[in-house]
Amino acid sequence: MKFKKKTATLVSFTVGTLLLATTALADITSKSGYEELKDSIKLTAEQTSEKYDSFTLDFSMALKDNGKTIMNNNEIGKFDRKKSASESISTGLSLNGDKSSSQSYSDKTTVIHTSAGDQTYYITEYTKERKEEIFSNPFKEEEAEDLEKIADALVGSLKDHVVVAENSDGSKTLTGSLTEVQIPSLINAVASFQLKQEFNGNGNQGSSMPHLTKDVFVKEVTGSAKVNPDGVMESILGTAILSGKDEQGTVHEISIEALIKVKDINSTEVSKPNLEGKKVIKNVAKDYSDSEISNPEKFIGKFKNDIVIEKDGKFVKVGERTLDITKMDNKNVAGRYSETFKQGFENYASDFSELTFAAQIEKDQRGNADFESTTKSGEKVRGNIYFSEYDGKVNFNIHNMNSPYAGGLMFDASFSPDLD
Amino acid sequence: MAVFQAALLNEIEKLYRKKKVLVAILLSLAVIVIGQLVIVGVRSGFGLRGTGSVEFPMLVLSVVVNTILPLFTALVTIDSFSGEFSQNSMRITLTRPISRFKIYTAKITSIVLFILGALLLLLVFSMLAGFIFNANSASFDSLGRTVFSYLVSILPMTVLALGIVLLANIFRSGIAVFFISILIFLAFKVLGLLFSQYSSLFLTTQLDWYNLFLVNSFPLAKIARQFLIMLGSGIMLFSAGFYIFDKKEF
Repeated sequence: MKFKKKTATLVSFTVGTLLLATTALADITSKSGYEELKDSIKLTAEQTSEKYDSFTLDFSMALKDNGKTIMNNNEIGKFDRKKSASESISTGLSLNGDKSSSQSYSDKTTVIHTSAGDQTYYITEYTKERKEEIFSNPFKEEEAEDLEKIADALVGSLKDHVVVAENSDGSKTLTGSLTEVQIPSLINAVASFQLKQEFNGNGNQGSSMPHLTKDVFVKEVTGSAKVNPDGVMESILGTAILSGKDEQGTVHEISIEALIKVKDINSTEVSKPNLEGKKVIKNVAKDYSDSEISNPEKFIGKFKNDIVIEKDGKFVKVGERTLDITKMDNKNVAGRYSETFKQGFENYASDFSELTFAAQIEKDQRGNADFESTTKSGEKVRGNIYFSEYDGKVNFNIHNMNSPYAGGLMFDASFSPDLD
Repeated sequence: MAVFQAALLNEIEKLYRKKKVLVAILLSLAVIVIGQLVIVGVRSGFGLRGTGSVEFPMLVLSVVVNTILPLFTALVTIDSFSGEFSQNSMRITLTRPISRFKIYTAKITSIVLFILGALLLLLVFSMLAGFIFNANSASFDSLGRTVFSYLVSILPMTVLALGIVLLANIFRSGIAVFFISILIFLAFKVLGLLFSQYSSLFLTTQLDWYNLFLVNSFPLAKIARQFLIMLGSGIMLFSAGFYIFDKKEF
């Protein structure tokens, strides 16, 4: 009897362990719909950024309030990896009811942009060939793996809501839907609060967006995706419905729909727009990322601004400051600084009103230089000069002149070229 | 059978006399009250709906099943085993004309009944609170799913209790068992998050298995696997616990 009990205990222990081990193994190896979805997204990103020569990405979204469209946006992006060219056409209706559409084209040396409101073609030409990847794989970024882990943890038990159906041609359809009972309350609360803030945010005043104030919650989230036999995603559609009441107590159901399609793989043609007979504005792009100014001689000459004081509640011009750059290359700069006062204001002139300076441009700091000089009375002056190629101005500062300046003078550090 | 019934009645009586059960009931009700207050606060403060009438019981379940329910299951289980070992009242129980297997089973059955009672209590009161204080969002389907979710939660809780029974039979001191249980519980939770692919190995993941019954498509394969994992580990823990209990000298 004793022996029998021991055997029975051992047998049941073994059976339990085996049962646990086998099913756990089966569970680990079985791929959930969520995993398949993830794999397919990753594969799609990889193929489009590294393998396919060309493809078209069609993205559209719509925002509806109780079934009435209040905003939509459609963007068709054509990418040609071989030529490094891309084309995008976007059309949309904004929340304010404005319709918009624009078109742009970009390759290694040109960017062309035009929009429906303004039929002009703006062309930017690059003197150097740009090295830009037209489409980079977001999963290759450093933090992608960590983000994926966090996403997995957040999705948690919702993973099982993705259902995979295999079609006869080898393609797969993934679907998933969540209603309010299935969405964990915390996630629902955080998501609806976020969306509510976003929708009621500044800039949406006076738009067709209803102002939700009460009982906001995520009512439903659905999604479906189509994966081709190679495992690449052809289309993915997502819909979310947010329900809430406005101040009058009217119930609004705002639905957000987004659809992304990948199509014309290896058969997309990106073509440069035909500019014949069109109004064109051309501009050569400057490369501001260089460490040196491309043609520094353009800064040789006079730069000016006004000296102003406040008098009887008005601004009055009392004189001018002049900066005369006599020498400028990418190593050295020299010039004169002077203040000239109008009649009746001559006594504003100080020791600093007449200076000559010479300085060396700091290495790798595009037109930035510190200088030292001495005034007529022998006082040392320190200052800084900066040539701004971007807005065609010169910034000139004397450190010894503490603001507010003596006598209520208002100085401007930025000098404009004197071209008259 | 009559012997087993007597033993079970005896165990339930012992359980019922403990203050812990009363505390468990009060805490469960407190969770419902606090939860409802938070929801009302969120509703008036942030303009969010928070939960509807059916979502509220689900919110309560998701909180309770990972916190106070395992905690009180551990306390009751430890009391039933370690407590009696140390008070030597186990000797009195064993002197009765009843096999050790029946005592062991009766003890576990009484613990399962405690879990079931706690779940039913939570279900009834959270539903009441849900319907009184929240906008009605119930449909026959969602109501059924809610009740079902509460009922299926008894399975993982039972496995948890069996695990604690095993620990209580290995270690003599009740306090040691309690802390070891909590540590293992937390470790499993963390591991389940870190290695989400292997999460079904850690028995704490199954505490949330009621979510599977909420899925529209009813993932039968997944439910079956989870059920078998729990069944397997349940049998394993039960027999291991009994083996030690049977060998123990008092």
